[in-house]
Amino acid sequence: MRREDLTARVMKDMDPELFDFVTTYVDSFIKWDLLRFFHENPHTMDTSENIARYAGRTAEDVQKELQALARQGLLVETPVENMRVYMLKADPAVRMRLQKFVEATQDREFRRKVIYHMVRH
Amino acid sequence: MQNAKRVATGVPGLDAMLNGGFLPRTANLVEGAPGTGKSTLGMQYIYEGARRDEPGIILTFEEFPEQYYRDAAAFGWDFRELERQNKLKIIMSSPEVTKADLENVEGTIQNLITEMGAQRMLIDSITHFEGLRQDPMELRKLMYSYLNALKRQDLTIILTRESAHLFGEGIEGQLDASIQFLADTYVMLRYVEIESVVQRAIVVLKMRGSAHDNTIRRYEINTQGLKVLQPFEGQEGVLSGAPTRMSDSFIKAFVRR
Repeated sequence: MRREDLTARVMKDMDPELFDFVTTYVDSFIKWDLLRFFHENPHTMDTSENIARYAGRTAEDVQKELQALARQGLLVETPVENMRVYMLKADPAVRMRLQKFVEATQDREFRRKVIYHMVRH
Repeated sequence: MQNAKRVATGVPGLDAMLNGGFLPRTANLVEGAPGTGKSTLGMQYIYEGARRDEPGIILTFEEFPEQYYRDAAAFGWDFRELERQNKLKIIMSSPEVTKADLENVEGTIQNLITEMGAQRMLIDSITHFEGLRQDPMELRKLMYSYLNALKRQDLTIILTRESAHLFGEGIEGQLDASIQFLADTYVMLRYVEIESVVQRAIVVLKMRGSAHDNTIRRYEINTQGLKVLQPFEGQEGVLSGAPTRMSDSFIKAFVRR
């Protein structure tokens, strides 16, 4: 069985909106951490170095993932003086999707599927 | 100036000490050791604002918003709900980012203040600014500019500052003298030991443009937040952390040995 087929089989009963969210944004544990962090602290505006400190991760790893989430439209990257500052997009639809994902991760089976997706990615 | 509109803190007893509350568009310093209730006083101020339809912003450096939601809930203040009602926003950031943002014409914080119609702000805490400049004069200029940028937005601000000393006075950081000078009001929270019991004391040391209560008062933190109580009586040297009875001092001063 091909890799894509197996992934699709494991994720097949997932809510389509969640499936889309997971396959679009969640391809590493650091991103997962960052998504949860911005959900819990929705008005954070800070540099990658400081966000890395809050998240307890290395600055290099976090910067790469913040940039990716900004490119994907979940975060906003703004130049402030000589810094790059990251914020969660204010769009209520984006925030609702994030909330739905974080709430879904309360379920062990859903978490298992997300982990499976990340490992196969 | 005495009859100017006041911004009530919502802390029972403190508004009377402040002659009705803070003056509008002022920066007001609350300083104290860990656990004295600086953040609680600040949250109570923000909650009182929301109650009066005066939206507020909490600007936190390093303390997670999650902590505020939890701490506020312990006093029955539902900060998540206030955020939903657009009466509160808790921004987590760093001094360098907020400073640069405030200097921008269309900065994120300024936009948020305008959008919410924010009138109150809690900055918790300004101790984190000490890392931005080594030179005390430079730090003072930075703080002056920062506070003016916020006052320009018509905000009445509480700034908290940590004192490293649990009791009495000691050598403070380089921000100490500057911020005491720049702040319009200076409220000090202290632990004091009286007959082997630790009590809490509050005093308004300075209030620019207004009369205020000069007495040193007891306060408690109960299930509804801070509550200022009666003055310490028959004691002196309360701010030293270890007061003596006035009668003992009198005897020391006047009785021949």
